[in-house]
Amino acid sequence: MYNNMGPQPGMPRPPGNPQPGPFGNPFTGAGSGFIRGGLGAYGERILGSSSEYVQSNISRYFSDPQYYFQVNDQYVRNKLKVVLFPFLHRGHWTRISEPVGGRLSYKPPIYDINAPDLYIPFMAFGTYVVLAGLSLGLNGKFTPEALNWLFVKGLVGWFLQVMLLKVTLLSLGSGEAPLLDIVAYGGYAFAGLCLAGFSKIMWGYSYYALMPWTCLCTGIFLVKTMKRVLFAEVRSYDSSKHHYLLLFLALVQFPLLIWLGNISVNWLF
Amino acid sequence: MTKEFAVPPVDFSGGSTTGANFQQRRAPAPPFQPPRPSSASSSIPFMSFDAASAAASTPAGPFGGTIASSSSFGGGGGYASFEDEEPLLDELGIHPDQIWKKTRSILNPFRINKTVHKDSDLSGPIFLYLALCLFQLLAGKIQFGVILGWVVVSSIFLYIVFNMLAGRNGNLNLHTCTSLVGYSLLPVVMLSAVSLFVPQGAGPVRFVIAAAFVLWATRACSNLVVSLADGGEEHRGLISYACFLIYTLFSLLVIF
Repeated sequence: MYNNMGPQPGMPRPPGNPQPGPFGNPFTGAGSGFIRGGLGAYGERILGSSSEYVQSNISRYFSDPQYYFQVNDQYVRNKLKVVLFPFLHRGHWTRISEPVGGRLSYKPPIYDINAPDLYIPFMAFGTYVVLAGLSLGLNGKFTPEALNWLFVKGLVGWFLQVMLLKVTLLSLGSGEAPLLDIVAYGGYAFAGLCLAGFSKIMWGYSYYALMPWTCLCTGIFLVKTMKRVLFAEVRSYDSSKHHYLLLFLALVQFPLLIWLGNISVNWLF
Repeated sequence: MTKEFAVPPVDFSGGSTTGANFQQRRAPAPPFQPPRPSSASSSIPFMSFDAASAAASTPAGPFGGTIASSSSFGGGGGYASFEDEEPLLDELGIHPDQIWKKTRSILNPFRINKTVHKDSDLSGPIFLYLALCLFQLLAGKIQFGVILGWVVVSSIFLYIVFNMLAGRNGNLNLHTCTSLVGYSLLPVVMLSAVSLFVPQGAGPVRFVIAAAFVLWATRACSNLVVSLADGGEEHRGLISYACFLIYTLFSLLVIF
């Protein structure tokens, strides 16, 4: 089976090992092509013998990452509108589920505006880094090392956001939402940050108006999304505890996003 | 110390074993050939320098033999003579005419010639990277490592994004991706050359010029990537935004 993989390192090939995760086999499709193509012709030799071990471990921690990239232009535009102006979103916030192969799974982002995706968080993060570099440069303090530290700062901020959401889920008794879902929800904050950063470059004082707005909008978005996630994942519905935790979630956005938006050479503050 | 290459063993008086051993010990082994056995009077056909050194291997001349045999000697083990070798650039895999053709194809942002980019190579991007570093050096910024690191990171980023977006039929491989990202650095190289002459300071002129070159690079890179690898057509806008981020990052290095 692995004999003819050599000359085509970039082509994704479905492996013969059937072990579907929640969204299908994580090693088919671009996942397979990515991992095997990334290691070239040696990929299948290195991964082939241990692929079942790696596969079972990866699918335990990550759902299929390819699900989160099934996006198109229209979805991206509408989702940005939802993230930046969440109160304008008419309609429900629940994800549409469909029975697939006997299990209940959610529809991919193209068909469902409420599904999380990973394209927007990645692009928003990149835009945040670029805009941070631009604003550093306009203040005359640009060096490549400062930009690298800002990258690290953004990663730390994303990680903190993910930790916050995960702790919220765990403290309510079940942390079973897929990790990449949480990573996606945590990354949507960068879209608002980019808006605030852009306005800071355009006109300095508008930043002080737009920053609380961004925190508020991200808070509302996260609250509404996590409410549905909690409803779907958690068994017992203890309403007051839920509400306090969601309120805490929204309030913590303020210091977190203000810290992330404060772009200066000293990356920690 | 005289360098004595392994000329055919001179018959010392008697040709005793000690003489042959003496000869053998003193003759330094050539770096890629085993030391000559003493019975070299039967011509060993694979020894390339036999033809030249046989003429020069007079008993009197370790130097003469050296000079004559070193010319063909330096011709690589196994080759018949120096003239039969591959040219150095071919052996290294650098084809200047191909690099020139590919570079020229990026110069026109409105018409993409994808056939010339079909075999990816990394030597053109290395030249462009060195040129960018050189222009940055002329501007007083020593950023060799930074630019190299950013090129690597951005090509990995584009590779991941493209393959994830394209799904099952995405077949961009990392070598092609790096090659395309590298070749599309040409507008950024030109930007850094131009910005040496534009007055310093973050004036609007610099930004406008930088924006034009960045858009050029974005268009070139995204068109090439989409046309060379499957599965990218319906995600053209999304991929070109990723390319735009990459080249804006490089232009930040140039402007500031």
